[in-house]
Amino acid sequence: MLLVSFVWNSLHFILRPVLDLFKFIFSSCPQLVDTFALELEELEKEMVKKEVDHETLDITGLDGDMSAVHLDPDHHGGTGGERDSGYDSLRRRMSVLDRLTQTHTVWLLLCLSEEEAGHILLQQPPGVFLVCKSPALQRKVLSVRLKEDQSENPISHFPVRESQYTFSLEGSAISFADLFRLVAFYCISRDVLPFTLKLPEAIASAKTQKELEEVAQLGPGFWDSALCSLRDAASPQRHNYSSDSAPPTLRSQNLSSFQEKRHSSGPLCYVNPLFLQTRHHHRSQDRQRESHGSERNPELSFSLNVDEQEAKLNNQSRSPPPRPPPPRSMPKRRPAPPPPAPATTKSTTRPKTPPTSTNKSSKSPSKSSKTPPPRPKKPDLESHRCHIALDDETIAKALSRAKIPTSPPTADKPLDDTEMSERNQHLSDVSMSTSSSDSLEYPRYTLRQDLASSPSQDQDIYEEEEDYGVGLEADLEMRLRPSFKSRRRRMAVRLSGGSLILPRALKGRFRKVSGMLSSLMTPERRAVKRIAELSRDKSSYFGSLVQDYLSFVQENKACHTSGIDFLQTLRQFLTQMKAYLKQSSELDPPLESLIPEDQIDQVLEKAMHKCVLKPLKSVIDVILHDFQVSSGGWQQLKENLALAKSKRPQELGVDGAAVPPDAVVIEKIRHKFVNMRKMYSPEKKVSLLLRICKLIYTIMQDNSGRMFGADDFLPMLTYVMAQCDMPQLDTDIQYMMELLDPSLLQGEGGYYLTSAYGAMSLIKNFQEEQAARVLSSETRNTLHQWHRRRTAQRTAPSVDDFQNYLRVAFQGIDTGCTAKTLVVHPYNTTEEVCSVCAYKFKISDPENYALFLVTEETSQQLAPDTHPQKIKSELHSRPWTHIFHFVYRRIPNLNLCIPAVIHNGNDFQ
Amino acid sequence: TMAIRELKVCLLGDTGVGKSSIVCRFVQDHFDHNISPTIGASFLTKTVPSGNELHKFLIWDTAGQERFHSLAPMYYRGSAAAVIVYDITKLDSFQTLKKWVKELKEHGPEDIVVAIAGNKNDLGDIREVPMKEAKEFAESISAIFIETSARNAINIEELFQKISKSFIWLHPPVSCTSTAPLHGYLSTCCYYFQGPILCYFLICVVIMLML
Repeated sequence: MLLVSFVWNSLHFILRPVLDLFKFIFSSCPQLVDTFALELEELEKEMVKKEVDHETLDITGLDGDMSAVHLDPDHHGGTGGERDSGYDSLRRRMSVLDRLTQTHTVWLLLCLSEEEAGHILLQQPPGVFLVCKSPALQRKVLSVRLKEDQSENPISHFPVRESQYTFSLEGSAISFADLFRLVAFYCISRDVLPFTLKLPEAIASAKTQKELEEVAQLGPGFWDSALCSLRDAASPQRHNYSSDSAPPTLRSQNLSSFQEKRHSSGPLCYVNPLFLQTRHHHRSQDRQRESHGSERNPELSFSLNVDEQEAKLNNQSRSPPPRPPPPRSMPKRRPAPPPPAPATTKSTTRPKTPPTSTNKSSKSPSKSSKTPPPRPKKPDLESHRCHIALDDETIAKALSRAKIPTSPPTADKPLDDTEMSERNQHLSDVSMSTSSSDSLEYPRYTLRQDLASSPSQDQDIYEEEEDYGVGLEADLEMRLRPSFKSRRRRMAVRLSGGSLILPRALKGRFRKVSGMLSSLMTPERRAVKRIAELSRDKSSYFGSLVQDYLSFVQENKACHTSGIDFLQTLRQFLTQMKAYLKQSSELDPPLESLIPEDQIDQVLEKAMHKCVLKPLKSVIDVILHDFQVSSGGWQQLKENLALAKSKRPQELGVDGAAVPPDAVVIEKIRHKFVNMRKMYSPEKKVSLLLRICKLIYTIMQDNSGRMFGADDFLPMLTYVMAQCDMPQLDTDIQYMMELLDPSLLQGEGGYYLTSAYGAMSLIKNFQEEQAARVLSSETRNTLHQWHRRRTAQRTAPSVDDFQNYLRVAFQGIDTGCTAKTLVVHPYNTTEEVCSVCAYKFKISDPENYALFLVTEETSQQLAPDTHPQKIKSELHSRPWTHIFHFVYRRIPNLNLCIPAVIHNGNDFQ
Repeated sequence: TMAIRELKVCLLGDTGVGKSSIVCRFVQDHFDHNISPTIGASFLTKTVPSGNELHKFLIWDTAGQERFHSLAPMYYRGSAAAVIVYDITKLDSFQTLKKWVKELKEHGPEDIVVAIAGNKNDLGDIREVPMKEAKEFAESISAIFIETSARNAINIEELFQKISKSFIWLHPPVSCTSTAPLHGYLSTCCYYFQGPILCYFLICVVIMLML
């Protein structure tokens, strides 16, 4: 109960500022008010209700600042009467996101090319869309039916850009955690599109879950079905959603269902923050930068922001659900909404740290005194959703942390005439600029200086990253910093949980809306979890394969000839199951809609480790050990290890100048090796090994005060491994070498893994007379074989690699057509192929030539960073193979007809 | 737009008869003389039009080596079709095929489509298995029969087309209104199955008949 009440209270606290902010923003656009009022009111009602029920909840530190957040207490009071109806209606209505998610089989057709999608869309009214995959671009494409008069081409294709864990449309600054959110957003706000997307009538008007299911079951067949053609009969008003006509509902998910979900699938908390920011005035930004002579631009940000606490909490406090490994995306992540601009601000911030010494006085809620815009009676924020579920412990930790200043306040000149509201709580944050004399103070981050000196006179809304009092400062700063430099004015609004609609009416003020929708339980982690759950479900095909395989391994140890053979079979199983998951429709919604394509493989790899290696870990250890014992290798290893252990470092070839680690350090390293052995993930093992090796390096250098090269390292590693006296390490190294995702062998990890293998081989084959020598030829040979095997394995089974040849036709100005077969690897880019072509066809001005993909009707110039082999295999894998050619020719001569000579030119066999 | 149905197909047969080559020819239209023995099983897919729908073949190419024999059940158990391959130049491989047929009868799914493929038919000179004998055997178990050559790309597409047809015959495509999968695996194979309405209907019919 406490949990629930906290959630509701939190929601309330978060939404109030959001609401007030929007009231303000939209006060100049009265027509919007009604649109949003209803949605907001419902949320409010629920919150009020819950708040009443659990009003005893005390959130430390909140009390003092509450009033500052409730900018419009009247409104608050007014909704108390009808609390229940809002709750019901929430449950009844389905959001755009719900509708999209449930009917993805209809519109998410990644097996179609954009031409095929175009055929479907021609029959549809403007605004209807499909997401398909362009074989030429090698990207997902949002294909939209345009209005008849808008352009000559009735269909427009918008490429989807996928960065680490986010999806966005080309040209837009708004990115989303997954495709569903992206499409949902564009159903509501057009951003870079000519107009908002329109759901097919049958989907938009479906009133029940069942109706949606019926649509979904038709899959792509929906477009030909009677259901689809129903649209015209149905309400014509829906013909086109624009930002000022509300779609069925803007809620991304209903709250009650979220709670259910939480119990079933267990994310402690997840919230999808949406960042919106304007990104205009780039030029003035630059000017600004120059004039200030500072790398930071005066920026100001306001944020509306609900965040997930759990993930962040776990970052620093070791509270039960372990924090997921920091997403790889962090450093590369699209910079979050940075605080731009105007010096003139009125703000409602709720910093997580206690109010800093300056500006305490500004806490009062009286900011309205400075705020000219009239407030509408009704809240004008359209829908957005906050999902928070926290357990008591997490909350307690968050609160206790919130009280500890995590960083000393940055020195700052006092802000003049600043109105600032602070809540010493960490759930939401709203700041907004209202007048020239106002300024926002940021209690932490370098933000503050920027803000304080911010000269802009504009009103603006900004978003500030807020981490709710726990952890992740580094992450936030990482996200904030780049944007400080790059943008001066922007509007940034970040809302948790769903879609935020910014009406086009606002575009005078916010020319470009940019945002980021992400959830803090990383999509990666969610996907891994889903796959792991599926793998335990024996009623699913995937689940039964995995479970059968687990029993197979446990019952059929005899079918393998050696430990390595066993591990290779295991690796093969992991690889093939990844292929299955990638290509079958068993994962629903498809992984491609949730994870950017270049991340899918890593996510699957991780998931397979969890599904297969984790449960088998101890069995694998036993099997490997048994093989070692039965081959006699174990006995030999133990004897040689004992012998090696008795040797002095120099006898093992250690450089005389290098001081070996002492017994204490050896014990420490031994402990690390023991920990490494406990890991089931080959990746984690390798990263621990890497750390051990780095430690040894450091010790070598610290002890002797000079640098050592790789040649000095191997003997030292051998010495350390001998001293650690762990014969089990041998099978562990085998485990890593055979099971590590081959693509990971390239890096540092692979290097040290090879070193460890070398050291272990030296110990295994240790003989008196060989001591202090370099690797035996036998070991070198083994390493070489291993390397060959790895590289062979990497190239052999991949579908893409069957043919490393590409037939390219060359069309000269007056020489007609010639064709050559070139060796082109799947990873070769068009740019590389072009340079090969220039050489092969003896082109003196390669800059005027490009590679084109030519089909019967079309001719497309390939972008330099595309991969011709991948395009080819993609085209080959399509159900109807069209005739296509790769043609190398002059760029301006786009319309030259292609002589028949090169027909079938690329069908190399 | 056609509906897509997924068809899980599993290749079985003695080692070296050309299972992987058949798959490779079918999926990539490519033949490799130096293909190495499959470890465990490989997974490949290919989508082909069949009648009014698209069939996406999800192909498990299993290892023929005896030591991997016990891995096969996990792949054929959930399959809609099994292709049992033998080498027309090796009588032994035909005997192995018979064992596979027996095993499938005992442990495989009841309604699995069985196809028998006599591969390497480009090597007719050294044939050991007469076509007639194989064909008769296939008929006796009502299996699809075809002789193929992965090397010369003979009858490879035809093999899979025949499987498609049998599959459609066994599991007619459902119309938009409502039909249901009668078979467990089908529900995972199909994008667009209506709920279990027909299932209930059929169960009712069966119960009525029994009464």
